Amino acid sequence: MMNESVPERQGIALVFLFIVGDSFVFGLARWAGRDLWLSFLVAIVLASPLILVYGRLGSLMHGQPFSEALPRLLGKWPSRLVALTYSAYAWRLGCFVTGDITNFVQAVSLPDTPQVVMAFGYAILVLWAVKEGIEVLARFSSVMIIVVLLILLTALGLAMTEVNLQEFLPIMYDGFWPVLQGAFQILDFPLLETVLFIGLANALTTKKRSAYKVLIPGFLLAAFFLMLFASASVAILGEEAYMTSYFPVFMSTARIDIALFLTRLEAVVGVTFAIGTFLKISVCLLVASKTLAHTLGFSDYRFLVTPLVLSIIPGSQWFAKSIMEMEQSATKIVGFTDVVVQVALPLVMWIVAEIRMSKERKNKAGKPSGI
Amino acid sequence: MVILIIFGYVVVGGVELLLWKERPWQKVLVYLLLLSAAATFSVLLAIDVRLPVPEPLGTLRNWLQKLWQ
Repeated sequence: MMNESVPERQGIALVFLFIVGDSFVFGLARWAGRDLWLSFLVAIVLASPLILVYGRLGSLMHGQPFSEALPRLLGKWPSRLVALTYSAYAWRLGCFVTGDITNFVQAVSLPDTPQVVMAFGYAILVLWAVKEGIEVLARFSSVMIIVVLLILLTALGLAMTEVNLQEFLPIMYDGFWPVLQGAFQILDFPLLETVLFIGLANALTTKKRSAYKVLIPGFLLAAFFLMLFASASVAILGEEAYMTSYFPVFMSTARIDIALFLTRLEAVVGVTFAIGTFLKISVCLLVASKTLAHTLGFSDYRFLVTPLVLSIIPGSQWFAKSIMEMEQSATKIVGFTDVVVQVALPLVMWIVAEIRMSKERKNKAGKPSGI
Repeated sequence: MVILIIFGYVVVGGVELLLWKERPWQKVLVYLLLLSAAATFSVLLAIDVRLPVPEPLGTLRNWLQKLWQ
């Protein structure tokens, strides 16, 4: 049995890059228009209890591997059904993210290169990373978070000359409904995709540390960072351009022009997008492999990685067949599958796990000590 | 194209199985089944790009929509 443990800081970096990964270039909360910052605040408030539920589920596993902890919490067969659902969801998300990066690269820089070629390159990298395991991915994110933050915050700072704060006025002119729509869109993608970390909870939890300490700071940092970037894009591009472009952050960075010398900085945004998507696909495939291994009754997951990773190459072309479909899937308000996997299933798991744990505690307390 | 895809999967599967230190039959069986499924999926998508995406939760969604209405 593999004993994996990720230090707190590396775990936070992993969660941060997983959420920010492929989402920051899209027009998040575009339904809310100029009020998108309000959508972000509403989404953070709505998502926090669910992130706490994910953290509680992680803590209930007491640092045990998924294959040991889940049957203890839910029973043998329900745990396998849940694991299969999460495996399918993680694989599907991995396919979507691969589709995001291949469509993005084709749209902005390599229009004549087939997407399969880029997906194949990514698949090889992801195959290697997933076989190395969560610890290597966490170490990678602890280094890369510095690069990503440095690049994006520098770009944001340079773009400040283009910002027009009048773009945010008037506040809530169209009422609260668009704000709520925007909030639900951000919940669906990317905030509640953090649900996948339940599958990695054993690495994030130790006897002294609960999963909350990693999930909550990572989630809050990522959410506020996304809010900052999306709001800056609206202030630079204006509401209409933000709502109608595929990659508004990319466009707003392209506006940076320092004395006709420092221009074309959108390329660095592309680099951070590439790093983030690599990490996100790796986490998705890691969770998919681990949960599938549990479903099939194996303790080791590494032998399942190759078929799963190879299947994301056609999968990335299957779920979103064009850049329009990709953009629609990323900015839809609510997806039924996502609600089931991100909200309903964790809540049911949490309630069942709490009931079983309280019964276990009562049984232990009722037993004679034998002295 | 189809032959090329199948050839690619056969090469990857063959090389990886050769590199395994131990080959318990359960793991080999699951590995080959999954690899065949991935190869079939790739071939199907190479033949028809517009391959429909199944919706396993579609029935549940339709039922809930009916209840809502």
